[in-house]
Amino acid sequence: MLTTDAYHMPATLDEALTLLATAPAGSRLVAGATDLLPWAREGRAGDVHLPALIDVTRIDEMSGVSIANGRVRFGANTVYQAFMTEPALARALPVMPHCAIWFADDQIREQATLAGNVVNASPAADGTPPLVAMNAVIECARRDATGTIVRRAVPIAEFLLGPGRTMLADGEIVTAITCDDMTGYGGAFEKVGQRRSLVIAVVNAAALVRTDRTGTRFEDVRLAIGGIGPVPLRLAEAEAMLRGQPVSAELIARASRFADDRIASRSRREYRRTVTRGFIAAVLENALADCGVPLPAARHTETADV
Amino acid sequence: MSDLALEMTVNGRRVKRTVPPHQRLIDVLRDDLNLTGTKEGCGAGECGTCSVFVDGKLVKSCLMPAAKANGARIETIEGLAAPGDLTPVQKAFHKTGASQCGYCIPGMVMAATAALRANPEADLEEIKERMGGNICRCTGYTKIIEAVELARDVIAGRISADAFAEDAAVGSFIGSNVRRLDAPSKVAGRLRYAGDMVMPGMLHMQVLRSPHAHARIVSIDTSAAEVLEGVACVITAADVPGKDGFGVFVHDQPVMARGKVRYVGEAVAAVAAEDVLTARRALAQIRVVYEELPALFDAGEARKPGAPVLHDYAPDNVVKHIPIRKGDVDRGFAEADIIIEQTYQTQQVEHAYLEPEAGLAYVDHDDVVTVISPSQNITHHRHMLAKIIDRPINKVRFIMSPVGGGFGGKEDMIYQGMLALAAMKSGRPVRLVFTREESIIVTAKRHPADITYRMGLKKDGRITAISFSLLSDGGAYGLSTEGVMRKSAILSLGPYDIPNLTIDTVGVYTNNTPSGAFRTFGAMQSQFATECHLDIAAERLGLDAFEIRRINMMRDGASTHTQQVLGSVSIGRVLDVAEQASRWEHGPVGMRGPQRSDLGGDDTRAPCTLGARFRDGVGKTRQEVA
Repeated sequence: MLTTDAYHMPATLDEALTLLATAPAGSRLVAGATDLLPWAREGRAGDVHLPALIDVTRIDEMSGVSIANGRVRFGANTVYQAFMTEPALARALPVMPHCAIWFADDQIREQATLAGNVVNASPAADGTPPLVAMNAVIECARRDATGTIVRRAVPIAEFLLGPGRTMLADGEIVTAITCDDMTGYGGAFEKVGQRRSLVIAVVNAAALVRTDRTGTRFEDVRLAIGGIGPVPLRLAEAEAMLRGQPVSAELIARASRFADDRIASRSRREYRRTVTRGFIAAVLENALADCGVPLPAARHTETADV
Repeated sequence: MSDLALEMTVNGRRVKRTVPPHQRLIDVLRDDLNLTGTKEGCGAGECGTCSVFVDGKLVKSCLMPAAKANGARIETIEGLAAPGDLTPVQKAFHKTGASQCGYCIPGMVMAATAALRANPEADLEEIKERMGGNICRCTGYTKIIEAVELARDVIAGRISADAFAEDAAVGSFIGSNVRRLDAPSKVAGRLRYAGDMVMPGMLHMQVLRSPHAHARIVSIDTSAAEVLEGVACVITAADVPGKDGFGVFVHDQPVMARGKVRYVGEAVAAVAAEDVLTARRALAQIRVVYEELPALFDAGEARKPGAPVLHDYAPDNVVKHIPIRKGDVDRGFAEADIIIEQTYQTQQVEHAYLEPEAGLAYVDHDDVVTVISPSQNITHHRHMLAKIIDRPINKVRFIMSPVGGGFGGKEDMIYQGMLALAAMKSGRPVRLVFTREESIIVTAKRHPADITYRMGLKKDGRITAISFSLLSDGGAYGLSTEGVMRKSAILSLGPYDIPNLTIDTVGVYTNNTPSGAFRTFGAMQSQFATECHLDIAAERLGLDAFEIRRINMMRDGASTHTQQVLGSVSIGRVLDVAEQASRWEHGPVGMRGPQRSDLGGDDTRAPCTLGARFRDGVGKTRQEVA
C-alpha cells in the first residue's frame, strides 16, 4: 500500500521544480502512476510511505506535439494511447502504433506515458527500442543554484545507463522527447513475453524502413532490439549493410544474424538469440509491408535451428 | 498530512469529497461513494475489474491516484443505464450467458462499452484486442465476446433488439438457451459480494502472517498494537474459547497458528481497527519471536525416516493413503507382450478467481455469531465454527455471499474463524478483504502430483495390467487432501476396462502452501498420466490413438475399478465425436509425414497478432510506389 503526506499537481514547470526542490527527501515525481502503485505492494516494495508525490500530468508545457525541421517533439505527458489515436503522431512516428499496441492494455495506455517508460529505464521497456531507432533526444529541465531553470537535451543512448538508471539528475524533470520525423517509413514492432496483454517483454524489436520509389531497394533502415541486455541495442551494422541494397529474403536473413553475438542478458541467452533472429527478419518484413511493399513471397516457414 | 479536496462529476451528479492524499480513484468510488460495482480484483492493474471512464477514457481505477480525477467526469458501471434499465451491451451479456460468477463482469461491460464506443464496427479480432486488459476465469471468454458482437449488431441495427429476449424453451429446458436469473444484477454492477458489504460501525481486519515455513512460536507480544488509537482488538490463537481446528476432512488447522507455524503465510495474529491503514500499522507493532524448525519442502522427503514431523497425530507425515486392488497384476504383467513404464509430474496451480477472499462477521442482537462470506461449504463451516467458539449450533450462522469464482478454492474456512473471534471480542461488525497477493500466498492450491505408471499390453493394444502410484504434496494442512486422494484413485485409470490393477494415491504433509480442492478434485492429475501413457503405448504398438482407447474402453454394463456396475457408458460416443470434430487423421503416430492434414482450418486458433484496429492503416499516407 502506498501512502503519502501530500499529493501535488502543479500547473507549471516552474511550480513543479520548486516543489521538487523543497519536498522532503524521498518524495517522488509521478506521471501515469501505473508503475508506482503496483510497486508499493506485497512481494515488491511492500507498504511504502513517500513524503510527497509531485504529479506532472497537469503541466501544460509538458503536453502537445509539434513537427518541424525533420524532428517530432512531443511533451513528456504524452500517453501511449496517443501514438495510436492521434493521426499526426501516428503518421510521423509510424513504428509507434505497432509498439503501443503491445504495451500493457488499452486502459493503462490512457495513463502511462512514454517518457515515464524511459525514465524507469527497464531493460525490457517497450518504448525504448523505437526511440533508439528514431534518434530520440530526451529534454530535461532543472533549477540551478541561482534558481534559473536550466535545460539540456540528451540523446537517448546516453540517457539510459542501465537497469533503472538514467542520466537524470536530482531535481531534474523530463519535459519532452524529440525524434526524427519518420513520415513515409513503414514501421513494425515485435514482442514476446509469457502472454499477450500486460506482460513484460523477454525480447522486443522495432524497425523502420523506407524504400526507393520502385519499392525494391532499401533506402533507409532503422533497427533496434530490447530485452537482450541492460539497455536497448541499435543494430547500426545491420542497418548499414541493408541501406542501398535491393530488398530480398536472403538479405533479410543475413541481417537477422547481426545480433547473434550481442545478446548480453543474464538468463535465457540461447532462447533470446533464436527469438532475436526471427524478430529482426519479422520486423523488417512487416515494416516493408507497412510501407506498402511486402516481400513477394511472405516467409511463413519455421527455421530448423530453433 | 494534507487531505485532498476533490470535486468530480460521477455518473452525471456533482460530487465533493475530502480524502487522504494516498487514496486511489477506486477507493473513493467504493468506500466514499459506495459505488461497489467497480471491483478490485488485483489492485495492480492486471485484471481490469476496476475499469471506469474518466473524461471519456477507460482507465483502471486501482492505478489512478484520486487526485488525478479532480475536476473530471467519471462514469462507472452504475451510470451506464438508468436504474432498472440495461444498456444493449448489458442486455447482450445477459442473453449470451456471459456472466457466470459475475465478478469480472462490470469491468468486462465497461471494456466492451469502450470498445464499441471507439469503433462501433469493431470485428471479432478487434473486440478481443480491445478487451485484452480484462481477465475472466469462468467463461473462457467465448460468451463474453459473443455478447459484444451481439450488442454491436443490435446497436448498428443489423439485428432486432428482440435478440436480447430469452429463447422460448421448446419442450424441455435441457438444450434450451435459458438466461441466468442473477445476470441483470451482475451486468449492472448491483450485486454485492462480501467485500462490497458494509455495516454501521464496521471494523477492518488485517492479518499478520508467518514469514517462516516451519517455526515454533516462542512468544507473541501484541501490547503495542492494542493501545494504538483506532485499534479495537487484536486476536491470536489464545482467543479461541473452544476446541480449535478445522479442515474439510481432518480438523488439523487452527484458526490462527497455535504454538507453531507450518507454512509461509499462515495467520499468526489479526487486528480489527477503524480503517485498513490503522490495522496495517498495528500489525507492524506486533512482536513475534520464532524459533525456526527444519522444514519439509518435498513430498518424497516427507515419508523418509527422520523427516521433520509437521503434526503430532501423523508421525509418518501421511494425510491419506488410498489403495485399490483388482485382479492379479503379477499375472497380468506376465501375460503382457510389452510393459511401458513412465513417470509424470503435475504442478501446484492457483485458482485465481477474480474475487479475492472476503468476509464480514458480526454478533447479532440475539448473540448469534454471524459470518457472511463466499464460502463454498457453509453448513460444514457452521458446525466447525460452533465447536471452535464453543457455542451451540443455533448461535452460529453462516450466510453465503455471492461467490466471485471459487473452483474449489473457497471450500476452506481459512479466515471466517478469525472474523468471528474479532466480532465477538470487539462487539462490532468486522470485515476482512484479502489482497490478491494475500489470496495467492495463503489459500490452497491444486495438488501437485508425482505419478509412477506401469502398464502391460498385448500386441493388439489390450491392456493386461496397470500399476499406478501417485504421491501428492498436500502442504501444511489436510484441507481436502483426503477427498482428492480418494477421487484421484477412483478416477485414475479413466474410462478403461482394466482386468488387473493396483492403485495407490498418497497425500503427505510438507511445509509448502496447503493443497486443496480444485476443479476435477484429483482426477486431472491422474488422468493426465493415463492419457499420456495411452498415447505412448499407441506409438510403441503402431496403433491409432483413438483405436487404442476404443480397444480398452468400458462398455455398457462394465464394472469400474471400485466395482460399480455402469448401466450405460458414453466414452465410445465421446471418442467418435472428438475424432470427427478434430478432423483426426487416422493412423499411428509417425506415419503422417511432415504435413498433417488435420492441423489448421476451421475452429483452430491462428497465432496471436496485434493491431487489428489499424489493419487498414493508422491514418497515415502510405508510401507511393511507382
